[in-house]
This record gives sequence, C-alpha cells and structure tokens, in this order.
Amino acid sequence: MIDIIFLILSLIAIAGGFGMIIFAQPIYSALSLIVCIIALGGIFALLSAPFLFMVQIIIYAGAIITLLLFIIMFLNIKDDNLPEEPNKISTIVIGGVLLIPFNYLILKSFAAMEDKPMHILSNGFGSIKIFGTELFENWLVPFEMISLLLLAALVGAVVYARKENKSEEK
Amino acid sequence: MDIATVSIVIINIVIAIILSLAFVPILVWMERRVAGFIQDRLGPNRCHIGGMRLGGLVQSFADMLKLVFKEDYRPDSIKEKLLFTLSPAIVFATSFLTFMVIPFSDDLTIGAKTYMMQALPIDLGILWILAFAGLSVYGIILGGWASNNKYSLLGGVRAAAQVISYEATMGLSIISILIVYGSVNLGDMVRFQGELLWGFIPAWGVILQPVSAILFIITAFAETNRAPFDIAEGESEIVGGFHTEYSAMRFGLFFVGEYVAMSAASALIVTLFFGGYQIPWLNTEALKDNIQTVLISTIVIMPIISFFFARWIKRNNVWPVKDDPRAKETGRLLKVLIFINVLIVLSLALILAFGISSNGVNISVALIQFITFVAKLIVMNFFFILVRWTLVRFRYDQVQDLGWKILLPISIANIFVTAIFVVAFGG
Repeated sequence: MIDIIFLILSLIAIAGGFGMIIFAQPIYSALSLIVCIIALGGIFALLSAPFLFMVQIIIYAGAIITLLLFIIMFLNIKDDNLPEEPNKISTIVIGGVLLIPFNYLILKSFAAMEDKPMHILSNGFGSIKIFGTELFENWLVPFEMISLLLLAALVGAVVYARKENKSEEK
Repeated sequence: MDIATVSIVIINIVIAIILSLAFVPILVWMERRVAGFIQDRLGPNRCHIGGMRLGGLVQSFADMLKLVFKEDYRPDSIKEKLLFTLSPAIVFATSFLTFMVIPFSDDLTIGAKTYMMQALPIDLGILWILAFAGLSVYGIILGGWASNNKYSLLGGVRAAAQVISYEATMGLSIISILIVYGSVNLGDMVRFQGELLWGFIPAWGVILQPVSAILFIITAFAETNRAPFDIAEGESEIVGGFHTEYSAMRFGLFFVGEYVAMSAASALIVTLFFGGYQIPWLNTEALKDNIQTVLISTIVIMPIISFFFARWIKRNNVWPVKDDPRAKETGRLLKVLIFINVLIVLSLALILAFGISSNGVNISVALIQFITFVAKLIVMNFFFILVRWTLVRFRYDQVQDLGWKILLPISIANIFVTAIFVVAFGG
C-alpha cells in the first residue's frame, strides 16, 4: 500500500518538475512547481515526518509560490513578451544526458544501502515535540546562525530597495 | 474495526459536513436578515414550501437551486479553460478541508477505546489550518488570472497581496497563543481552556491573550476575504473582482466557499480563544460528575425557554391574509416546538429513571459539548455578519498600511511580552 502511494506521489512530483521546465507560460511553470512541492510534502508525510510535511505546504506552497505568482501576475506577461526558445527540447535532452553519471552514482549508493522497512514509525518520530527538542538541544547554534543569516538577507533586501528609490528621485 | 469505531468515524465526518456545507444556507439567510435589520427593512421572508417560511430560511434553498440549474456560461475570451474551472473548486475544497481538524467535543471514551472527536483525527491541528488557509488564495488568484479580464486580474492581484500581508500577522498571533497553551493540538488547547484562572475565571484564550485574539480575528477577516477586507471583490471599484466572469454553479462554488471559509474561521476563533466546546465553569470532569444535575436542570429549563420562544413566535410570525397557507405556519411551528419539548423531556426522564452507564455518561457529555460548540459557532458567525454590514470597505493602501505598519509590530511585541511572562512566572 505504502509503495503504491509512494509511486503515485513520486510520479506526480516528477511530472510537476518536468512541467516546470517545459511550459512556456510562467504561470504554468509556477503551478507545476506547486504540484511538485505538494507531492514532495506527501512523501515527507509517508516518511513519518508530519512536521516537515506541514511546513513544506505552509512555507513553500502557501507563501513562497503565492509571492511568485503575485509577481508574475503583477508583471502581466503577454505571449509576445516571452523569449523565443527554438532549441528548448534539445537543450533539456542534453541536460538530462549530462546528468546520467550523477544519477548512476546516486542509484548505486542507494543500491548499496541495506534494506530498511518502509512503514510509519511509532513513538513520535518526526513529531513536532521531538523535532523541536532535537533542534533546540543539539543544533541550537546552527539554528540561530541560519536565522541571523536570513535576517541579514532581509535587511540587505530592504537596504538595496531603498537605494534604488533614492537614485530614481534624483 | 468494530461497530463503535466505524460509526464514530462516520458521525465525525457527517458532523463536519453538516457544520460546513449544510450551514451555508443558514448563514446566507442570517446574512440577509441581519442586512435587512441593519438597513431598516425585513429581508427575505415570503418564500414558502407548503406554508412553511421558517423566517425566510426557505429562500436560501431556492437560491441554491437557482444557482445549480442556471445556464453554465463561459465567455469565449477565456483561453485557460482548465484553470478557469479548477479555481472555484480549489477555493471550495481548501475551505472545506480546514474544518476537518476542529474538535467538536472532548475525546470520547466508549468501552476501552478513546476517540478524537474530529473529522480527521490528527494532532497537527493549527499547522493543518495554516497550510490550507495559505492554499485557498490560489483559487482566487488563478480564477482572476484565467478570466482574461483586467478587473478580474486586479482582483486576483489584490487578493494575493492581502493574503501574503496578513498571513504573517496571523502566524505570529498564533505563536503567542501557542506559547501559552504549549501545544499545537487543538484538542489540548480546548482542554487547557476548561481550567479556571485563580479559581474563578475560565482560562479562555481571549482572557489570557486579548491582544492575540483581536489580531487573529482581524486577520481571519482578511484571510476569508470578507468585508471590511473584501477588496478582492470590491464591486464599487473593479466590477466583481475575481469572479466577474463566473456564473451559475462555478460562481456558486466561490459563493459557498466563502461561507464555508467564514464558518471555518469562526470555528477556529471559537476553538482558540472562546473555549471551544467548553461550558464556562463546567469542564468535562465536572460535567461527568454532575450529569444527573445537568439533565434535571435541562428538563426544568428547556420548557421555560421554549415557552418564551413560543410567545415570541406568536407575536412576530403573523401573516395578514387569513386563507393563505402561510397564515397556518405559526400554529404548526408551535406544535413542532411542543412535540420536541415533550420528546426531549420524556427521554431525559426515562434516562434518569433507569440510570445511565459510563458509556451513556460519556456520550451525553459529548452531546452537550457539541451543542455548546454549535451555539458558540453561530454567535461567532453572527459577529462576522454584523461586522460586514457595519463597517465600510478599506481602501487598498489602508489595508497594506494596517497589515504591515500596525498589526505586524503589535504581534511581534505581543510574542515578546508573552514569552517574558511565561518564562518569569513559569506559565
């Protein structure tokens, strides 16, 4: 049962990924990305990580792609504004061929791993409480560093935007 | 899977469907009557089936039927047919799914097993709701974009901007309430609110966290796109906003979705801040210990309330023409009221006479709590409707200013103050 769900979810995720690079219209690309992200969220849920599953939907599907769609719609791109991509399919195929060695490496290492049972773990693995305790007891410093980094990026974006405005006024 | 498990799962799902879907006609009726009341007119009250008007409630059913049977028209200018059809369904499905994790009563114990009284028994609670609150805006954005119409596109862009701005405040106001409750599970939160503060005040969220409650209610209005935050529709500025090109049941899904979202937001506000299914000063244990007293007082109080209700019906529900079927309605309503009273009093008396088992006690407590929850839900929905017809719509820049410059700083300050309090006084 779990194998079937996993297969369906991964097929949806792969289809979403393909759609994202193949569609010419940016809105459809963004939508394919949402499909891919939600399917990945489903795989997280299968892997006994309910917190990651919810956060994936809240942050990526709920917030980031909404922002992306907002910007795409705000620009209001017409069909003639889109760049012409005559070699699109061949570029994608070449890219895929170039990635084969990496895929081979990854698949090889997967095959070398021992068999692990694919079922939902009990005793609260991946639940919010265990996750939070682990994060704030063993990984506190990296966690705080990342939040500082994000804050710096935020402040940087604000400063950058402000400078642009000033130069326009002059 | 024994019979008890299966039946409880089915009952929970049916309750969720009733409280979200079947509530829509009632909410539409409430909206129209309240609008009528505020604008000094009567509102719908003539439509009837065999003389039964039910105060105008029948009108909403007629309205729903009209939407279903209308011609499904789609303008030729629409190129993205799939997205155009999909977006009302997204709005409807996401607002409907939000309802799935609201607890209707305390965990029900039957025999040896304990059941969570939610349609979807998971303990992610608030995260689930945040996830689907964020997804619901896609329906509006895509609908606005797929309509291939400038007004619709403007409506979609406005909706996206508004939801992005208010989601931040909503999440932050939830964080401060999470610090107090110490759990993301909605059931745990409601159980926390059953306790008493200093022995005499119910520990409801609105008393512990008034700032967070106000912020959350404001952002809930914005998330459900209801007035005063309905700039996505804004019929005085952008025709009909995102649903300008929609008609028939496609529009109907947007319409139903809006009311389901409103009902879900009310349920969430009730659960987070107004004690959910808890009756003040009577938490689950107290109810179980005093079940006899509660049942006896129900037997005494119900006929008295019904008597005054019947007098109110007699005074207000009159039809001037004598030979119209609608003139007989009051008599029939009174008969039904008396019948319900006799039925309930008799069955309660029988239960008291024969005594009740522990399963019976648990079930009756769950029933009482469910009724309490529905009563609170109706009051909260009434508040939503009252606000819609009292306040005027914000201008677009005012919405953004309110979200980013006022609500967001307040919510961050609230988190700091709450955290300091909890750390200093040990929660």
